[in-house]
Amino acid sequence: MASTIIGSGITIEGDIASDEDVVVSGTVRGKLSAREGVVVEQGGVVEADIQGGATSVAGSVTGNIHSTDRVDLQGGAKVVGNVKATRITIADGAQFKGNVDMDV
Amino acid sequence: MSSVIGKSAVVRGKVRGDGDLEVQGHVEGEITVSGDVTVEAGGLVGAAVNGRRIVVRGAVRGDLVASEAIELGNGARVVGDVRAPRIAITEGALVRGHVQTQGAGASSTPRAAATPRAAAAPVKATPAPVRAATPARAPAPAARPVPAPAPSTRKVEAKPAAGRGSVLAGARPAAPPPMVVPVLKKGTKVTKKR
Repeated sequence: MASTIIGSGITIEGDIASDEDVVVSGTVRGKLSAREGVVVEQGGVVEADIQGGATSVAGSVTGNIHSTDRVDLQGGAKVVGNVKATRITIADGAQFKGNVDMDV
Repeated sequence: MSSVIGKSAVVRGKVRGDGDLEVQGHVEGEITVSGDVTVEAGGLVGAAVNGRRIVVRGAVRGDLVASEAIELGNGARVVGDVRAPRIAITEGALVRGHVQTQGAGASSTPRAAATPRAAAAPVKATPAPVRAATPARAPAPAARPVPAPAPSTRKVEAKPAAGRGSVLAGARPAAPPPMVVPVLKKGTKVTKKR
């Protein structure tokens, strides 16, 4: 179970820093950083740079995603920004606009 | 869906919206939520908290305003004003600030309710002596009220007291029995001591 959950009706304007998982079903504006996984669920909106571990996006992200592990863009995801990670998957139906940087 | 700020999470900024919020970690910004807010033990909020019901078992440095109720549990530390229609402060909770068991909207209703009470009290008092006065003694009580209104309004307050006294005296000679009873009680106590 994720330790931090931003519910669907909730908006956070500011920075979030967590050592554990963060699940976003609501809205985050500012900056989001986590040591563990970050999940942006369907309907979730992140207008911020994301720094985290394994990152999964099914909602909307406007900002750069920097992951120490992997980034998965699910079908229905909408991402505008650069993605930097060791592994990246983009599912069919995901909207993506930005650069991909994989440490080669 | 309820929201949780986890143990290790730090939020620097505002948190607002619909639904419930549970704070186990650290929030350095104002919280405004339509639902319930719970600050768990170990949780810390460094700004004002607004919600429907607020339960604090952790620390809050800022004002607490709830539309329904606020509960400060054991281990709660609150530095700031606390305002809600219902407030519970449990033993072991520390509070420094103004505490008011009225919401912003509710404050007007008790005041409005207080004025009719004050107005109603004298109205009830005045008819009582009149009723008692008519059956018992017609001339004597009538003479007492008449001089009283003439002097000043301040003495009007004294009227009901005099009226009540006359009512007791006129209605029943119940005054002596209560006088005897305490005397007996005193006597019995004394004998017990001896």
